[in-house]
Amino acid sequence: MGNKVFDRCAGGAFLVVGLLFARGSFKISESAYGSQVGPSTFPLGLGIILTFLSIGLLYQTFTYGAQAKAKQQKDYKKLSLILLALCLYIALFETLGYVISTFLFLLAAFQIMDRSKLLLSVVISAFFSAGVYYFYVVTLQGSLPAFPQW
Amino acid sequence: MDTLHFLANGFLVALQPYNLAFAFIGVVIGTAVGILPGIGPSSGVALLIPITAVLTGGLDPEAAATSGIILLAGVFYGAMYGGSTTSILINTPGESSSVITALDGYQMAKQGRGGVALSIAAIGSFLAGIFALVMLLLLAQPLSELAIQFGPAEYFSLVVLGLAAVTGLAGKSMIKALIMMTAGLAASTIGVDALTGVGRFTFEIPSLYQGLEFITIAVGFFALGEVFRTILDNNGNETIAKIGRLLPTKKDFRDSVPAIARGSILGFFVGILPGAGPTLSSFMSYTLEKKSSKTPERFGKGAIEGVAGPESANNAASGGAMIPLLVLGIPSSATTAVLMGAFIMYNVQPGPLLFEKYPTVVWGVIASMFVGNLMLLILNMPLIKVFAKLVETPPQYLLPIILAICVFGVYAVQVNVFNLVLMLVCGILGYLLVQNDFPVAPLILGRVLGPMLENNLRRALTLSDGDYIIFLSHPISAFLLATALLWIVVPVLLKKRGRKVIVNEAE
Repeated sequence: MGNKVFDRCAGGAFLVVGLLFARGSFKISESAYGSQVGPSTFPLGLGIILTFLSIGLLYQTFTYGAQAKAKQQKDYKKLSLILLALCLYIALFETLGYVISTFLFLLAAFQIMDRSKLLLSVVISAFFSAGVYYFYVVTLQGSLPAFPQW
Repeated sequence: MDTLHFLANGFLVALQPYNLAFAFIGVVIGTAVGILPGIGPSSGVALLIPITAVLTGGLDPEAAATSGIILLAGVFYGAMYGGSTTSILINTPGESSSVITALDGYQMAKQGRGGVALSIAAIGSFLAGIFALVMLLLLAQPLSELAIQFGPAEYFSLVVLGLAAVTGLAGKSMIKALIMMTAGLAASTIGVDALTGVGRFTFEIPSLYQGLEFITIAVGFFALGEVFRTILDNNGNETIAKIGRLLPTKKDFRDSVPAIARGSILGFFVGILPGAGPTLSSFMSYTLEKKSSKTPERFGKGAIEGVAGPESANNAASGGAMIPLLVLGIPSSATTAVLMGAFIMYNVQPGPLLFEKYPTVVWGVIASMFVGNLMLLILNMPLIKVFAKLVETPPQYLLPIILAICVFGVYAVQVNVFNLVLMLVCGILGYLLVQNDFPVAPLILGRVLGPMLENNLRRALTLSDGDYIIFLSHPISAFLLATALLWIVVPVLLKKRGRKVIVNEAE
């Protein structure tokens, strides 16, 4: 059996999505183009199916038995820090440019994973960020945010 | 012989120097993906789609598609070879289809026969891969000629069957799998409708006009989700067993050849079945070997058949899985769903018309799989010790770099931050959902097959003037729908009766 709390939240969330989807599909403008099956039929059907499935899941959560709590030691702190670093990375990606933001993200993430070998972390981060940028932008002429213009 | 002629042309394409290079890169990365923890075949392929798009950017569209897919297919079957390495040497499967190999493989390694186990796994994988390809050659043309007669109603029902099959086998809870599939289908409707040009669920946000890009979702759900999981379950250092001598003895060969043959045949047919795929086939092969053995008590204590059978089966299955993908356009597993996303990205629609419209692409890819399997055999025998070293890559560096590659890949293809945010959201959702037994594969499959399902639904209903009976009045369509229903209902009934149902977990 699954996690009761999570499954209820997820069931509720999917229920809301299903209802909104069904409601939203009524707003899709029907085209004048011939057939009765316009662009709204399929999403409407999906919204309805999703709604019913979520109700089914919510109903099922009431049949879950008491839960044996087997809490494992999990490194949530590390994951939250990595997530924070990743959010910052994405937020600053275009402002700082690829090389600088990637370098900072990797350096931070390496150190979050394991606070040792600072020098090696710096070297790998620098090598990766500069290497990818050089290979992709200079050699393959792709486009990545360049350096900020200060 | 039409097929031979096409195949010969395929080899001309596959043997082009740059395509050889692409196949080589693909199988090497695939082997690495199979070995490295924190990244499996589906996330590996998802991650590499953007990168191949970058690499093939300068070629003309058809050549780009051929080379790109040669590389990605290489990753797919390369991972089947690589996965066995960690199972055998450190008792930690690199991906789910090699879980069963660890049972006897690791025991062999502890007895100092690790090298023999690795060689047999490689040889078995090679023979099975070639067998699957030959079958693919024999079956592809006739099957696509059959499928070409399908109308929209039949196609709609076929897609429903594909979805039902993957969903039915996808996890512990059927209703969760169905929810995920429906959510995936729903996600596919977001964006501008291709038939009428009407915006759906776009809320006037320009980033949504293109819809939720498949690559972004796949990278988020598979690659990011998997990295997050690995960070949490940080399981210390493993010690690597000694590899020892590589060459199997005559007795080893005598023991494993029948297992390889059985594994190849079983794996191939399981692979064709929608929903089954490499993981399930390796489990079934192990059971078959144990049952057909005169000395079943040796299993779990280092029986070479327990390595040879499943490893052949998972490779044959990955070849077999190419048939529904190429011929029908219906992927049968998470990884082939991602591969299908790659075909579509290159504007090549898999399905019965594939062989007619893009012979260069499809035969080039098939021929390259012969070449790639040969490369893998050669790579895996002498270089196995080098690859095994990959296991020691410190996660401290590996995981952040995978994250950085995700960001780079998605940005390189989409060139906007919106997709990066979407990827991050998918990654977090993917982690949470998988943790609570919501399988990701049906969602990805729904996103890939959604447009096809909807187009055929609308075309069929236009033909019938809006009458839904068309799906039941056409016999083939009715048959497919009935099969789809069975695929969902039978596992539920079996579970109710307290029978254990094998499901494809993980991936």
